[in-house]
Amino acid sequence: MDYKFPEGLKYTATHEWVLLKDDVATVGITDYAQHQLGDIVYVEMPDLGMVFERGSNAGEIESVKAVGEIIMPLSGEIIETNSKIIDNPELVNSSPFEEGWIIKIKLSHTDEIEELVSKEDYIKIVESEEA
Amino acid sequence: MELKKTPFYEIHKRLGARMVPFSGFSMPVQYLSIIEEHEAVRNNAGIFDISHMGEFLLEGNDVFDFLQYIMINDLNLLEMSKGQYSCMCYENGTVVDDLVYYEETPTRFRMIVNASNVEKDFKWLNDHIGKYDVKITNLSNERCRLAFQGPNSDELLQKLIDVDLSKINRFYFSHCLLNSNPIFIARTGYTGERGFEISLENKNAEKVWDVLHKTGAKPAGLGARDSLRLEACYSLYGHEISKSITPVEAGLFWLVKPKEGIDYIGKEILLKQKSQGTERIIVGLNLLDRGIIRDNCKIFHNDIQIGYVTSGGYSPTLKKTIGLGLVKKDYSNVNTEIKIEIRKKLLKGIIAEIPFYRNV
Repeated sequence: MDYKFPEGLKYTATHEWVLLKDDVATVGITDYAQHQLGDIVYVEMPDLGMVFERGSNAGEIESVKAVGEIIMPLSGEIIETNSKIIDNPELVNSSPFEEGWIIKIKLSHTDEIEELVSKEDYIKIVESEEA
Repeated sequence: MELKKTPFYEIHKRLGARMVPFSGFSMPVQYLSIIEEHEAVRNNAGIFDISHMGEFLLEGNDVFDFLQYIMINDLNLLEMSKGQYSCMCYENGTVVDDLVYYEETPTRFRMIVNASNVEKDFKWLNDHIGKYDVKITNLSNERCRLAFQGPNSDELLQKLIDVDLSKINRFYFSHCLLNSNPIFIARTGYTGERGFEISLENKNAEKVWDVLHKTGAKPAGLGARDSLRLEACYSLYGHEISKSITPVEAGLFWLVKPKEGIDYIGKEILLKQKSQGTERIIVGLNLLDRGIIRDNCKIFHNDIQIGYVTSGGYSPTLKKTIGLGLVKKDYSNVNTEIKIEIRKKLLKGIIAEIPFYRNV
């Protein structure tokens, strides 16, 4: 399969992507992740103001047949969620890196950014899962 | 244990299917999109590989009497070239399996059983032969099975087949040729649409798939098979019926027949349940809050647990969350307010009228 891996993003081994701007991170799931889940029919998002540690579960993504988790790629506070995907969860399938973004986090530990995965390393992770 | 492959395995791989382990087989759960496959079956036609299901041939002078003893439905309602849906049950009325058998001649019946129960059923049947003159052959591995389902299935299939499909009524079958390949074809299905189920020799599998695919029918996987059957509210073994749920509890009371003078397995308790009702019953579920309900979620009414979800998911046709649940009879009326627990949250729902959708 050919998946999209846009430039300018950081990734996680749990298949989130992260767009960093100052101390705010926009987070979604990767093209590979949305393919694995299949048709997404519901996204359960965290409430605004909630604070999560890196690696904790901040929400659920339900497809017709499976459930995926939204894993916090970085610690911080939820300052925005994508209200569009409440009524149109299929945007996570059709536009995972743009219209299908899920949450924005105000970072509490910017040094964690070092732990994120580069595009090249993330491609290797996907290739090893596919093999 | 290595997963078994159906004769359509290479085709699934070629079509880019996502393969998953299911009842010991590597099966396609979806090709590209469960929703698109689901909609193709509702609007046109879909092809399913159902070769994981079991197929037995029962032959002998006593096949009829043997099946009357082991099945809860009444074979006197059957006739040559017709099939019948039934359950075989344990003495306590719970279900060994639900299945369909077809009367090919008075001494030869073909039976299609659930994938997960093939070995159990084969043993159960053989263990109960006793005095009956019956021989059972397991054809599951030498033959393969397809379902061809959808409102246009008659029209698309007719061009390929040497019999008049309009003469095959629901649950009837024929042995005929599909593009010169011998097949068994029955007007049965598990989708809530018109359609057929086909059995054929493995060696013709790819040829038959290819001509069926060329009709424009869309390959559909187990994901769509499940969402379609859930909308149509067909019981799934291990969910609505099982070793701990009886057919009467599952709403299949119409399968339980009096069969005067025949002492079939489970008869006493099932007839009692049918006339007196049961403590719990399978009902439809609609979710009012946003979310998806899944199997085994607990169902509450005023903080008291009244049952659990047996099957739940998203309905592509109705574009909302639906489910089936086993609940206490006192709370089974349509529109009863309920709450369903998912991930420690209680979501609002109601008992719904079923089936959610059927077009057969």
